[in-house]
Amino acid sequence: MHNRRDFLSRTLGGSSLLAVGSVVPGFVARTAAAADDAKAKSKDTILVVVELSGGNDGLNTVIPYGDDLYHKARPTLALRKKQVLALDDFHGLHPRMGELKKMYDDKSLAVVQGVGYPNPDRSHFESLDVWQQADPKRGQASGWLARTIPGLPVREAGVPGLYLGENRLPVAFQGADGGAISLADRKSFRLQLTGPDDSKKARKSLIESLNADGGAAGDLAGFVRKRQLQTYTSLQRIEEALKETGTGPDEERRNNQSGGGVEQATLADKLNLIAKLVNKGLGTRLYYAAADGFDTHSRQAESQADLLGQVSQAIGGMFGTLKSGGNDDRVVVMTYSEFGRRVKENGSRGTDHGAAACMFVAGPKVAGGIVGKHPSLSDLTDGDLAYHTDFRRVYATLLDGWLGVESRGVLGDGFEHLPLLKPKA
Amino acid sequence: MAATLPSELSKVDPADAWAAWSPGSGTPWDRKWAAHLFRRAAFGATTAELDKTLADGFALTLARLLNGEPDAAARWEVLAETGRYYKDATQVRAWWLYSMLEGGHPLREKLTLFWHNHFATSLNKVRSPRLMFEQNATLRTHALGRFRPFLLAMSRDPAMLVWLDSNRNVKGAPNENYAREVMELFSLGVGNYTEKDVRAAARAFTGWHHDPEVKAFEYNAGLHDDGPKTLLGVTGALGGDDAVRIACDQPACGRFLAGKLYAFLVSETPPPEGLLDPLAERFRASDYDIAALVKTMLGSRLFFSDHAYRKRVKWPVEYALGALRGLVPGRLPPSDLVEPLSKMGQSLFAPPNVKGWRTGTDWLNSATLLARNNFAEAVAMGSWSKGGSRPTNGLPDAAEVATAEAVVEADIPAPLAPVERIPPQSVPTRGPGGAAVAGPAAVLTAEVAGSAAKPPPAPPPPAPPADRDVLAVVFAGKPATVPAVVRAMGVALFGDAPPPAAAKKIEAYLLDGKKAPAANEMNAPAFRHRAREALHAMMCLPEYQLS
Repeated sequence: MHNRRDFLSRTLGGSSLLAVGSVVPGFVARTAAAADDAKAKSKDTILVVVELSGGNDGLNTVIPYGDDLYHKARPTLALRKKQVLALDDFHGLHPRMGELKKMYDDKSLAVVQGVGYPNPDRSHFESLDVWQQADPKRGQASGWLARTIPGLPVREAGVPGLYLGENRLPVAFQGADGGAISLADRKSFRLQLTGPDDSKKARKSLIESLNADGGAAGDLAGFVRKRQLQTYTSLQRIEEALKETGTGPDEERRNNQSGGGVEQATLADKLNLIAKLVNKGLGTRLYYAAADGFDTHSRQAESQADLLGQVSQAIGGMFGTLKSGGNDDRVVVMTYSEFGRRVKENGSRGTDHGAAACMFVAGPKVAGGIVGKHPSLSDLTDGDLAYHTDFRRVYATLLDGWLGVESRGVLGDGFEHLPLLKPKA
Repeated sequence: MAATLPSELSKVDPADAWAAWSPGSGTPWDRKWAAHLFRRAAFGATTAELDKTLADGFALTLARLLNGEPDAAARWEVLAETGRYYKDATQVRAWWLYSMLEGGHPLREKLTLFWHNHFATSLNKVRSPRLMFEQNATLRTHALGRFRPFLLAMSRDPAMLVWLDSNRNVKGAPNENYAREVMELFSLGVGNYTEKDVRAAARAFTGWHHDPEVKAFEYNAGLHDDGPKTLLGVTGALGGDDAVRIACDQPACGRFLAGKLYAFLVSETPPPEGLLDPLAERFRASDYDIAALVKTMLGSRLFFSDHAYRKRVKWPVEYALGALRGLVPGRLPPSDLVEPLSKMGQSLFAPPNVKGWRTGTDWLNSATLLARNNFAEAVAMGSWSKGGSRPTNGLPDAAEVATAEAVVEADIPAPLAPVERIPPQSVPTRGPGGAAVAGPAAVLTAEVAGSAAKPPPAPPPPAPPADRDVLAVVFAGKPATVPAVVRAMGVALFGDAPPPAAAKKIEAYLLDGKKAPAANEMNAPAFRHRAREALHAMMCLPEYQLS
């Protein structure tokens, strides 16, 4: 280099700063032998977990508008009776959550109050790990959904868990060993091979054969080999399923933009794709999608309103699509966040990290209503709401009652169930 | 001292582990170990660099890595002057990748990458490429310096102040964001402080703001809480400087940083109890001299042992730049790497959160591994960069010039103004390989005879331009047999021959059902294409995914 002219020409090269990936034909997916099975609808139940990253302010989500202490603690952020979507004469939903209010009125939304765990951690990462590993004592290295997978019978496409979001799997799926995959944008979720068709096939076989060679279990190289082979297996199954899902014009457009696709999609897009995959009979039973931005240290009112509006619309939209495919009663959605926020708002019209908060569990098979009482605003712990319901009670209820996976094996202990599900017909 | 370290890591005496290594019979200073050093201390090596380093010897090589090239300071001056003008994420990413490749100080760039992950700050919230550039320059300044002034500089870094809401942290209404991360992620690690310490530290940092223009640090005395606080057992009217000092005074600080550097430079296998103690103690006793710690690690017996060899998963940046340096003869625009890197899970200047990227085996899930497969294929086929495929009439393309000039603002000094295109033919090639690669015309004349019985196979895709042809490196030593070609591929990729079982399979693939290639067949397009395919397959092996 040594001069800037040289530097510019080499760094930035041609006019295409972002070289658009050349469209290489993907590998020819083998015709699914089980094409007929895919149409035969499974009765398997499905759980969709929605992570609200950053620590959602539960107090301004399910609002105790009937409590004076709430209005005192939130001089600028409090929502008044006239604003909220009242659930009863004390609780109201945030005004932007119209779709969830409808589900509440239909008795298919459960609001679980005061959820948390002992000695709450106020670090995002630590607390996210606690929720996702389902172990406040941090003895578990694997995620709770990963531990669910071995007990989960899965048919058809054979991918038990699917993550729609950034490239890497969330901790909840950690340790799933190929049982869960991340569905990044569809365009790059293809193996690219240049050359005549028969040579492509031969090369893929060579890669598979080279990676089939042993390697001890627990050995790093062995892990990489296994992961390489799992990638091709998963790829083929998802590719088949996606092909059958069909793409609307919006998705086409998004997938033609670099960096688009599932990775950058909104929560509504992600939940809609899940609904489509379910409608098409993809065998996946655990879906995980995240929405970011809930870490509202300052100017919370506007940003949280937008986010809650998106959550509500996304869930409402997903059940609409599922209903059109006759699959809505197979799906339960659970939302969670790593913690709630401090009761007293801070000096920046925001809130700092807190502890207990509410969760939503939604779906036609959910027993609608408010579960548990709103945590007391006069009896705080370090300025935060005290929990009265361990989050693992929610997990245990859904594991045993919805997925049919024994919860004690997943959670390492028995937890009392909550009345979240309608009695089975 | 034992002649070789025990094969069980838990049985290795820490004193032996960190004793200075010198080349010996078990681990000679050869291509395998030199390539290992350059994967860790740099972004891989070119063939020519490995030749030189083997001639220079280990001691000189380590010194050069630690000090950088003699003209590194001059190069940085130019880079710094250019980097600050970018207004777009892709440009500033390409700029940093270029600095890694051409800045003349790869170890410092490598550590800058480490610290970027440590003090993980994202353009997605900071918004300003200029602030990210400035933070990057600060990371580089301290990358091999001392940790105390480093942590203080980061506590006043404008991008960091934006990233962790420092302007919201005011007397009477503290915002704990920075105070928590400075202990949890930047200096001590979880378990070495309490929630009370977080609240005290937040008060200590009140008033540490950026100016209203968001350009510089500004101490806002009126918003600073100067009341007494107790932080990590120290009581006083503590301010931000005190909080940094007190955090660095904790023994946990040396342990935490030594542990993170160990995973980055030596091994991702969790170290047994006690292995890092001598390092952490020495690090603290040296008042956190990072260069000294890095030198001890890279020059240690443990580093030159199987306990370190291929014991890390390459970060995407390492995977991509290593492929370029080891295999691609030309110097092509790193902007073409930006998109593949994002698919592999590492967009520079945009780590997923303040905790940084999830490294190790977490780099590899089906999507990211597939992205590595696909990048490797593009490199092997020479299609990853558009840089060499422009019209070759030697005239500057108006659109390109406009793009390049749009990068710089009008107030840049005159020498920058005329942007002269370099025709692809004159792109300098690395290594002695150029002559071995025939141009497309020469290859076409070497058609294979004698396949008349079968229907003619589909023709292979045309060979890539010479500046992107990975076979230049492989055929540089003029391998005469198929096993020799496979060996040369292994050396180019791993610094070592492939494992025998893999070598046999690759040889069979290259032979394509024949017993041995005819004399001129290895120059034929079909064989060359198969060689590129085999190279791609080898880049999908653990031997290549691991560092």
